[in-house]
Amino acid sequence: MGDYVLLFPVFFPILCGIFMPFVKNEKLREKIVLVILFVEALVVFCLAFGSGHSIEVWRISRMLSISFSNDGISRLFSCFISAIWFLAAVFSMEYMKHENNVGRFFMFYMVSLGVLMGISFSSNFMTMYLFYEFMTLMTMPLVLHTETPEAIAAGLKYLGYSIFGAGLGLIGFFFLCIYGTTTEFVAGGVLNSMAQSHADFLRVVYLGMMIGFGCKAGMYPLHAWLPTAHPVAPAPASAVLSGIITKCGVLAIIRTTYYLFGVDFLIGTWVQDVILVLSVSTIFMGSMLAYKEKMLKKRLAYSSISQVSYVLFGIFVMTPQAFCGALLQVIAHAIAKNALFMSAGAIIYKTGHTYVTELKGIGKQMPIVMACFTVASLSLVGIPPTAGFISKWFLATGALEANNVIPVIGIVVLIISALLTAGYLFTIVADAYFPGKDFDYSKLENKEPNMFMIVPLVVLAAAIVVVGILPSHIIDFFTSITTDIF
Amino acid sequence: MSAILVFIVIFPMFAAVISYIIGKYNKNLRNYWACVSVFVEFLVSVFVCNKALFYKSHTLFGLGIEFKCGGLRGILIVIAAFVWLMSTLFSNEYFKHYRNRNRYYFFMIITLGATMGVFLSADFYTTLIFFEIMSFTSWVLVMHDETENAIKAGMTYLTVAVIGGLITLMGMFFLYNSTGTLNFEELGEIISQSSYKADYYIYCVMVFVGFGAKAGVFPAHIWLPEAHPVAPAPASALLSCVLTKTGVFGTLVLSTQIFVYDSTWGFFILVLGTITMFLGAFIAVFSINLKRTLACSSLSQIGFILVGIGMQGLLGEHNALASGGTILHVLNHSVIKMTLFLCAGAVYMNLHELDINKIRGWGRDKKLLKLVFLQGLLGIGGIPLWGGYISKTLLHESIVEYIVHLAQHGESTIVFNIIEWVFLISGGLTLAYMTKLFVAVFVEKNEYESDKENEKKYITKTSAIVLIVCAVLISAFGLMPYKIMDNVAYAARAFMNSHQPDHSVHYFAWVNVKGAVISVLIAAFVYIFVIRALLIKKDKNGKSVYINAWPKWLSIEEKIYRPVLLNILPFFGGSIANLMNISFERVFRGVSALAYGICRYVAEPSFDKTVAVITPMTINVCGYAEMSFEVVCKLFENISAIAVNFFDELFEWFRKKAESILSVIMEFCVEPSFEDLYKISYRFFERIAVIFSGLIENLLLWMLIIIVVVSRFIKSTYNYIVQIVLYFLFNYEEIAYDGKRQFRKDAYFSRFSIDKHGENEGGRDSLSMALILFGIGVVAALIYLII
Repeated sequence: MGDYVLLFPVFFPILCGIFMPFVKNEKLREKIVLVILFVEALVVFCLAFGSGHSIEVWRISRMLSISFSNDGISRLFSCFISAIWFLAAVFSMEYMKHENNVGRFFMFYMVSLGVLMGISFSSNFMTMYLFYEFMTLMTMPLVLHTETPEAIAAGLKYLGYSIFGAGLGLIGFFFLCIYGTTTEFVAGGVLNSMAQSHADFLRVVYLGMMIGFGCKAGMYPLHAWLPTAHPVAPAPASAVLSGIITKCGVLAIIRTTYYLFGVDFLIGTWVQDVILVLSVSTIFMGSMLAYKEKMLKKRLAYSSISQVSYVLFGIFVMTPQAFCGALLQVIAHAIAKNALFMSAGAIIYKTGHTYVTELKGIGKQMPIVMACFTVASLSLVGIPPTAGFISKWFLATGALEANNVIPVIGIVVLIISALLTAGYLFTIVADAYFPGKDFDYSKLENKEPNMFMIVPLVVLAAAIVVVGILPSHIIDFFTSITTDIF
Repeated sequence: MSAILVFIVIFPMFAAVISYIIGKYNKNLRNYWACVSVFVEFLVSVFVCNKALFYKSHTLFGLGIEFKCGGLRGILIVIAAFVWLMSTLFSNEYFKHYRNRNRYYFFMIITLGATMGVFLSADFYTTLIFFEIMSFTSWVLVMHDETENAIKAGMTYLTVAVIGGLITLMGMFFLYNSTGTLNFEELGEIISQSSYKADYYIYCVMVFVGFGAKAGVFPAHIWLPEAHPVAPAPASALLSCVLTKTGVFGTLVLSTQIFVYDSTWGFFILVLGTITMFLGAFIAVFSINLKRTLACSSLSQIGFILVGIGMQGLLGEHNALASGGTILHVLNHSVIKMTLFLCAGAVYMNLHELDINKIRGWGRDKKLLKLVFLQGLLGIGGIPLWGGYISKTLLHESIVEYIVHLAQHGESTIVFNIIEWVFLISGGLTLAYMTKLFVAVFVEKNEYESDKENEKKYITKTSAIVLIVCAVLISAFGLMPYKIMDNVAYAARAFMNSHQPDHSVHYFAWVNVKGAVISVLIAAFVYIFVIRALLIKKDKNGKSVYINAWPKWLSIEEKIYRPVLLNILPFFGGSIANLMNISFERVFRGVSALAYGICRYVAEPSFDKTVAVITPMTINVCGYAEMSFEVVCKLFENISAIAVNFFDELFEWFRKKAESILSVIMEFCVEPSFEDLYKISYRFFERIAVIFSGLIENLLLWMLIIIVVVSRFIKSTYNYIVQIVLYFLFNYEEIAYDGKRQFRKDAYFSRFSIDKHGENEGGRDSLSMALILFGIGVVAALIYLII
């Protein structure tokens, strides 16, 4: 076996997923999906705590090959992706009961997981790009699942933006083939001796790649697909879209920045300033639009734009501490945003309310769901003792380490954005739990959903607090990653 | 042993969860459990209060947390636990008929743990973590009543807490970055050794914002007078007695641990303290709401405490009086204000009213309550033999000491003389508004409800005992200053870096009693000539009522904070964000629509489409060509016409002229006459007139041509621009699905309609479209003008 074990998490869900539509018995299908995803998560965690592997599956030419390995970044992303994917699957067992074509949904859901594992474990650009494009294609059916005209239009928009963004990335790849010694991911960069004489040109290429991959991560200027695609997708799909898929854009950016171009080539140059300004303005824009938005899921989508740009900000600052903060924010945001979207899904599932103005007193009807919503909100704002506080602390202190004025402006924007985040999330919490004196308690009925929805939510909420209180092991792990890179 | 500090912080958190679970099944048992757990907390606090313990964890919360105990921290945790115990005992009766009691107990007990965490913390990271937890859990207590006012006040409280907390956080980022530590003592060492302090002042002012907001320091005091009246009385007692003290604790850390003996920082705190002290007392005189008056009083007392903190910085190493005054006033204020708020709670419990016109005279026959309230009044008013006198005397003495110190060095003392007088006046106002409350509630008759049914039992035994304990404490503090107060001050001295005072203070010597006498005189003056004379009016039934003479418009919150935060900033921020959001999407859509169209055409070129696209284009091109040809032709025609005409005329004119001149000359020569002369001149003028008329005719033609050309050009350009812009602005999908490349007016305008949720979907689009149209128009106009 040996290194072939790396192929298992990638191809196991894909192969199993393809047979999903043929399982007609719903109970049986539920069990199969859960067992497969659980096994998948188990294997991924075993891999993460085991020794490093690497395998070359197919060499196409000198520069191009399909190969996998598990380094630090791979372990981090594969672990939280598979865990959250499993929890979202548990949630969707109940949620998908009021949707059609459940078999098709789970087929694409599972195939997507395999593809995401492919991105996580890929050890060169070619492999990552292959799975990156597949990710777009495999998740698009999740977006347009309901098949309403809006959903189809949103799906096409998602497709258009993603393909365009990935295309920009591909253009960069061509240049990297010329100016790089290899396209394997090597910590510290792969640029060859020719690169220095074409430095500014390569930085333009890098900027294009950042904008392209930034599309998936919701970075301005290619952010517009998020608020369109999230509200129309089924709740579990929007949860993973917002929590996980955006993180794959982040992963691609990390790989390009730290493993292909290298920090030394970029730090302190004009291109760093440009991408910092882009990410900082995205943070502000997302929060501000979320603050003004009245539709719950759309508000959360704008919130994602802002929060994922925190991660990008941390990456682009290019100091070890800030990078550590960015990785923490990846985890914190993935957990919190999944919890928020699942809460929104539970509310839609049970009451049909989609606007924040309709949520008065919802905390009395669904106390546990709203409690999880509250914990996740606290994390997004950055209130201790939640994971979001730790990540923001590391981001900000890391940004101050950089000798540059933009990160300092970024911190001010971070604080303003936190204030806006409080403005758009705590008003919901306040309305939900404090409906006012004239609230009719006699009409109150317990609308708490069943265990399939509650358990994943509670697990995520607990994870937020646990990571917030005991982050030291995670931080140690991230520090080991950063020492490789810097 | 040091793990006991963790126990103090963690135990309430678990106790809260247990109380919630118990409360689901049995309400009485839950109340007992709450009392027992808070009592355990109190015992443990008393047990550890004078032990120097230290706990450090390197891993918790990422950076690790540090707890310390002993000295000032010991005093503060005992105060907190004591107030909590009394309030919990009192809650039992107060909340008898309330909803959501489980929620109240849950968050109240968690808040206790968080507060303990703040008081025990030995570095700013720990302080911040528990400070934020405390802000959020106490928010629930403020909003507990869920009335409209309570929700509004709660949101104000939350906003102040969040903004303050975030600015504090930002200050800590900078502080941590520039020093590499957040431990109080290490920070103090680093900052005292640095020669350039300006940056540290800025960072520490940022850190101070959050603490100051919690303490109610001007100008972030707005939440206090709002939140206290609407919160349940036991919760207001907690807010006022303990939570504001967490802000004071933070300020103390900044002033006595980090900026040790720093006169600049001390003066900064002193000025804010003086303003807060006077402002709180001044507003309280006008207030006619029982709890609101007490809240304003809290503001004022926090101001007194800050004056003490500021004086410590100014006095340097001789700050024993100031430090003693500060900690003793913290102690006094906590106990006295708890007594008063619980009295107010007893009133509210029975009448569900806080307006002093409505509760007037209710307490005339309630002897116990009257006595307890009187104790509070005398305590907070600074009357000798009661608690407040001791601490106010020390604070006053510290100001006097500094004035003497300045005078000895020959410096101007005017500023501090003013501060001393503000101090005495604020003390006088304190006594005046408390007298107003006391007289209104316990002495005067209510002219409206003279025959109120006299309930015998207005308070349970437990609550009565709670009130008595508090009242006795106030007297005890005042009667035994050397036994109790001096020891407390001594215990806190190490934290505040102060030394043994040069001489012990004789509290009851005339020098010190004089200040109290001045304050009493001011109080008498204010009560008689302001409150009785100006603030009591006859209403339309001829009966006297207390009026609220405070002008409604004079509210810093309504006039500045709310508009700025809710309207102005979101408007600007929102406009920028909207423009950013839409601008690129539109461009992207336009470009992709164009690309899509081209690709579609390239993929399947068809004659129809070609014709459809080409024909209007050709027509227009031809139109332009035709028009321009026409113009050119006309131009040539005109030019030639003019030229021909001109030369023709000229030639003719010459010919005729010559001819006529010749003939005239001939005739004139043959037969000279006046008539011939006239003819010559007539013809001459006639010719000139003809030429001019021709010229004018041509000019008009020219102008006509220009107008036609320009207007046609503008019109067609405008049409094209509008069509292109609308095409880009539109969902190109709509147009593509439509099959017809037409401007669908109805579809477009439906986007402007307002849906049932009052949300204007198209509003943003219309704004952006108008802006883009306007921009393109301007650019086009500019280009046209330049060309």
